Amino acid sequence: MINHFVPKNLKEALTILNKHDCYIMNGGTDLMVQKHVSTGLLPKFDKDVLYINNLKELDYIKKDEEGIHIGASTRYVEIENSPLIPNIYKRVIKEIASPNIRNMATISGNIANASPAGDTLVPLVLNDAEVVLTSANGERKMKVDEFVYGVRKIHREKNELISEIVLKPQELSYFYRKVGSRKAESITKVSFLGGVKIENKVIKDFRVSFGSVAIKTVRNREIENKYIGRNINELDINEVINDYAPLVTPITDQRSNKEYRHKVAMNLLKKFVMDIKEGGINE
Amino acid sequence: MKISFILNKKNVEVDVSPSMRLLDVVRDVLGLTGTKEGCGEGECGACTVLVNDEPYNSCLTPIINVANKEVMTIEGFRETKSYRIIADAFASQGGSQCGFCTPGMILATYAVLKKNPHPSEEEARLALSGNLCRCTGYQAIVDAVMLAAKKGIEL
Repeated sequence: MINHFVPKNLKEALTILNKHDCYIMNGGTDLMVQKHVSTGLLPKFDKDVLYINNLKELDYIKKDEEGIHIGASTRYVEIENSPLIPNIYKRVIKEIASPNIRNMATISGNIANASPAGDTLVPLVLNDAEVVLTSANGERKMKVDEFVYGVRKIHREKNELISEIVLKPQELSYFYRKVGSRKAESITKVSFLGGVKIENKVIKDFRVSFGSVAIKTVRNREIENKYIGRNINELDINEVINDYAPLVTPITDQRSNKEYRHKVAMNLLKKFVMDIKEGGINE
Repeated sequence: MKISFILNKKNVEVDVSPSMRLLDVVRDVLGLTGTKEGCGEGECGACTVLVNDEPYNSCLTPIINVANKEVMTIEGFRETKSYRIIADAFASQGGSQCGFCTPGMILATYAVLKKNPHPSEEEARLALSGNLCRCTGYQAIVDAVMLAAKKGIEL
């Protein structure tokens, strides 16, 4: 017997989660596809379901000294339209799925789904965003980069809910590219985000993340630190490519193949480094 | 579970699983078959309905997500003046051939014109990018949106 729980508020949701192992249904745009059976039949779940999309307490965007807080049931369309959200996130979200889907889907759902092709993970990881996990016993925070640890694998305990995402605005210039088969409704083959801060030709911050080319979003702080402090004239394109090439380990699937994905990922990295050397990123 | 919402300006209550797709509720439970099912996985937009005036894919919407919200299907929309203008524009530009995508296209057209009464062609294409059509090649549909914008949809 599968239970469907429709809590009236967050407290009730957490009480339910304390007793039951549940799927968390939010906007539904991933879960309703995964559990779909056939026209006219109910989606088939193998454990209880908790519905959180209507919880008003989780629908907000607010800013304080810690960062920008996005409640778990806040939809992409609200994020796209909010003056509080950094442009890099809007840029990424505008290329996700279609307007219809963005009216329904949430960024917390994109994180929880933990697909290697999850588009928001790329800026979330690069910019050190955090998830807030709330349970009846309290709350804890974790970097998105650590929270997602594999294909559809997240560090959520059964009694916890992703209640909030905290964005940490950075002083970076960005270069973002999503590569797919078409403009709208395309599931990413490769995505690339580079972030850099340059003062007087010296690199003050340097970050790179790749999506859809490994079991989770690729980011490596060791490599980044190597380039921080370097003059842009001493930045060697081949050195950067050689550093990242072994970390980009895509697979061949119905959308693309591993050779193409690796090549495109490296070309995008090359373009990012060339732009830095030629005077900066203007996006 | 009893779930209430507003459908085409009238209060309705259904007694179904909260997981039932909004699409199945309007078609099978309430008998309104103007909303179509194409892909069933959020790619094609044939199942588009308006929820609080925003286009949603009803095939991915668990019914509980629209509890106490306003849902508009093509049957309700056809009673409005905006519908007449948009439908005439589709007819005159050849924006509808087999007709299967048309209810979704018309609602998506209304949604974009409501937000942006004079979209550029590029903006119109972006706004309809979640609605697929296998007949027209899209140009006729975009022409219909631009014509409806020119006439004004009388909001």
